[in-house]
Amino acid sequence: MTVHRIKAGDFTKTPIEKTETPDLGTDLIPKARYISPDFMRKEWERMWTKVWLWGCASEDIENPGDYIVTSIGREEILLTRQPDGSVLGFYNVCPHRGNRVMVGQGNATTFKCNYHHWEYKLSGEFENLPDVETFPQGPPPCGGLAPVKAEEWNGFVFFTLNPDAEPLRDYLDPLCEHLEPYHFDRMVKVVDWTAEWNCNWKTSVDAFNEAYHVQGIHPELLYFLEDKHIQIDTYERHNRYLIPFSTISHRVNETTEIPHLIKHAMKEAGMDPADFDGRVSEVRVALQKYKRAHGAEMGFDYSDLNDEQLTDDYHYMIFPNITMNTHADDLMLFRQRPHETDPDKMYFDVQMFRLLKAGEERPRKPRNERFKHGERSMGLVIDQDAANLPGVQQGMHSAAYEGLWLGDQELRIRHFHKVLMDYVGED
Amino acid sequence: MDLGLKGLKAAVSGGSRGIGRSIADLLAQEGCDVSVCARGQESIDAAVSGFEAHGVRAMGRSLQGRDGDAIRGWMRETVEEFGGLDIFVASLSAGGGTNEDRYWYRNFEIDLMSATRAVAEAYPALKQSKNASILIIATMAASETFVAPMAYNAIKAALVTWSKQLAEAYAPKGIRVNCLSPGPTMFPGSNWEMIKVARSRTFASAVRQQPTRRMGEAEEVARSAVFLASPAARWCVGSHLLVDGGFTKGVQF
Repeated sequence: MTVHRIKAGDFTKTPIEKTETPDLGTDLIPKARYISPDFMRKEWERMWTKVWLWGCASEDIENPGDYIVTSIGREEILLTRQPDGSVLGFYNVCPHRGNRVMVGQGNATTFKCNYHHWEYKLSGEFENLPDVETFPQGPPPCGGLAPVKAEEWNGFVFFTLNPDAEPLRDYLDPLCEHLEPYHFDRMVKVVDWTAEWNCNWKTSVDAFNEAYHVQGIHPELLYFLEDKHIQIDTYERHNRYLIPFSTISHRVNETTEIPHLIKHAMKEAGMDPADFDGRVSEVRVALQKYKRAHGAEMGFDYSDLNDEQLTDDYHYMIFPNITMNTHADDLMLFRQRPHETDPDKMYFDVQMFRLLKAGEERPRKPRNERFKHGERSMGLVIDQDAANLPGVQQGMHSAAYEGLWLGDQELRIRHFHKVLMDYVGED
Repeated sequence: MDLGLKGLKAAVSGGSRGIGRSIADLLAQEGCDVSVCARGQESIDAAVSGFEAHGVRAMGRSLQGRDGDAIRGWMRETVEEFGGLDIFVASLSAGGGTNEDRYWYRNFEIDLMSATRAVAEAYPALKQSKNASILIIATMAASETFVAPMAYNAIKAALVTWSKQLAEAYAPKGIRVNCLSPGPTMFPGSNWEMIKVARSRTFASAVRQQPTRRMGEAEEVARSAVFLASPAARWCVGSHLLVDGGFTKGVQF
């Protein structure tokens, strides 16, 4: 059974060409990158402080004065919408005594540190310093909050701690062209979770950069997607693979009955599985045609997406820490953040976005929920990954384990490490 | 014991996979010409060459089970091609669905109507046969509550009732009608194979209820089916045989 793929010449705005497979060798990836505090420090100095980082969704700071505090490593970053509609970012630290300025998210006319009420304009400049005349040296010469570069793209706000960073679009290249047809800015956030996981942030990135583990820990997905014969593309920093959904893996036999996850995808699109007379392997293309024909009447604009994008998972990784499961109707975005100090811990952010039907009332905005691994379910598939990762991290510490022994299906992990080491330079 | 099948002509609907395939294969082994119909041409081609390897004539047609003309056409061609018909096994099924509206129509058309249509078309040829028999494949889920309320179980129950009535009406014409209800059966490409992986809890619960602690194999069902359909089962008329490894808990008096 072969999975139908679109070809050169078929309608697409997102490039579909397979990139040349880079020769990245077959060397072991040293485990120290995952467990060593020394490597963690180098990573911070040479990588985290140099790259562009996903900060929040544009809708998190929709109106002037809206702000949100996000964090990376030990740094907290305050992102805020200006009266002219632009976004600005600041280190969330008061230059007076070092207190954090703002917490969480909200709307403000000024930012006020609650310690001594030093107050800042939305633009970060000092607004009011109580008893400023009692500082014989005058106010700090910085003039306000320390800025970080922030830019907006396709419904998301990114920031960088690198004052010399290239423009965001250059950093993302070539993914802007790839991802803009999805119009994430038309989607709304429906899930916002932050889970603390007992593993290195890269252990988590790796878990989403290969589909080889589907037959291991997600066997039920064999009846929903093709997991092995998938296109892997690597770019300068970022990479992707294209996973056919609403089909069955070549590893399993075709059944008479349509597997329940595929039925679910059909029903979501308004297609009744009971009226489908084709075989299971014929559903995917039929569903693409159905969504193309009925999208508009269902209230969805799919006009910039190719046929495959109507069913499949175009799965992108934006270096260093963003995993995007992009679908026509939704986006499942994972952000992997390092722990402040411990290489064996990380923060796993899940943000899910959904395309609204024309005229559909916007659902209530979710609040960010924070929890530790195991305290609540994040759905079967993520739970399966979450349950597995601490064991991987634990095993990395074993004297018997030297590092990652990667195969071709794990090319994205190898590519990720190549880009990582382009920044870090040495183990 | 000689089943008396050598040289007979048989048609098995849905005979390209699973229980139907296994029945057709055993019939071919016993020396019957066999004709099957199903959806997938590839699996039909594979099945037909398998039957022919037993030195019998074999044919297959790709069709949609709910297409009445196609079902009738397949039966007509089978009778013409083989020059008659002795055995018809109705094994075509849409499989389980949910309790939703369209699934009732789906199971009604594919499980029930494909059988009634094929029987109507086969009747003149069967009446001419000295060894005529019809075997209806139902399910133990018609006799025993199973998984959830759904069209599949209830429509199969209609087949059980219909087969009994048909047995009485056709007995004077020399056509035996029987019914066989398999329990959960595992074979490559079976829905249970998918459920075992994709809905492991449903699978575990089905195996837990099975006193033999495993599912049946297609051939274990097919052996009983071939016996019931064969001249060796001459005195079986209107029987309903449960072949389920002891799954059903109710006592049939």
